[in-house]
Amino acid sequence: MDLLDNYKKAWGNQVEIPCKFSALEIYKMAHAKSSSIVKWIFIIGILEFVLLNSLYFFMDMEEAYEEYKKMGLENFVFYSQIVVYAILFYFLAQFYLNYNQISTTDSTRQLMKKILKTRKTVRNYVFFNLSYLGLTMIVVTIASININIDQLNNKQILLVVFLMLIATIIILGLFWLFYQLLYGILLRKLNRNYKELAQLETEIS
Amino acid sequence: MPKDLEAEFLSDFEKNQNIAHKICRIYTTDKDAHNDLFQEIAIQLWKNYSKFRGEAKFSTWMYRVALNTAISLYRRSIRTMKTDDFSDVAYKISSTEYDDTEEKQLTALYQAIHQLNDIDKALIFLYLEDKPFSEIAETLGISNVNARVKMNRAKEKLKTILNPKTWIY
Repeated sequence: MDLLDNYKKAWGNQVEIPCKFSALEIYKMAHAKSSSIVKWIFIIGILEFVLLNSLYFFMDMEEAYEEYKKMGLENFVFYSQIVVYAILFYFLAQFYLNYNQISTTDSTRQLMKKILKTRKTVRNYVFFNLSYLGLTMIVVTIASININIDQLNNKQILLVVFLMLIATIIILGLFWLFYQLLYGILLRKLNRNYKELAQLETEIS
Repeated sequence: MPKDLEAEFLSDFEKNQNIAHKICRIYTTDKDAHNDLFQEIAIQLWKNYSKFRGEAKFSTWMYRVALNTAISLYRRSIRTMKTDDFSDVAYKISSTEYDDTEEKQLTALYQAIHQLNDIDKALIFLYLEDKPFSEIAETLGISNVNARVKMNRAKEKLKTILNPKTWIY
């Protein structure tokens, strides 16, 4: 007899666990608020969306538009905003669909895949926003150099470009670090389990 | 949700709650975390109950949802800090003739399972519950071959932890 068979027998003989819950207790529990990681990913995603978009409300758009106009960027701002909003709605739809598809009745691996996909969408959304911010910063730098090109010498132009690059890298880096931390903590266990489950599939194939 | 569906759910879950308790016991080490995970399992089961209705046996379906919750969704909430070890609570064996060998084996078994990773825990749990490989593979979403290989590795790990020398005389 296999060593584990003895243990299996003991397992089969264990009686019902003493802390049984009544139907009423189960009812209360089933109606409580979930604290699953999927819910947290969803909440954080929504918060990111709202926060990043509400930034626009804090800026004086008219004044900014006048500034853009002076630099000859009104077309860039107008068309890029159309593209940005189209992409934004695409993300919003994706975001909802992903979240909606997550179901505990899937197989474990499928479920994990879907959670990781949701997280990827959120991450792509954030990277998209940050790249747009980066792009705007670069375009504005170039445009403002263009206007003042007569008053600036080569050294000063280089300095402006250099400072702008540093600022962009620092901002993007900070955001990256923040997300690594945030989702890293949330998904550490899931990533580990997913790797563990997927590991052999690649070994065999 | 209609009331009769709710009543049906409560009766199904109440009868089968032992499955959830066993899963909670292998995935957590103290009472607070145990109840916390149990609650999350209850939420997930109820959330999906209307979709499940009549598709399979309730218990089969429950294994899947409960394990998924433990492996993929559950995060220990901040309020449940690690307190005293839950395995101190005695789990009795239903033996007509009182013999504490099986009880000791059971305690040792739970302690050994706690040392496995989350996926191995699920595999060993399904093995102990006498589930066929086809069901294990389907629940976890891996191939049959993969399930067999993984199961063998998990069993080997468990055997090493249990260390046969301590009880074979």
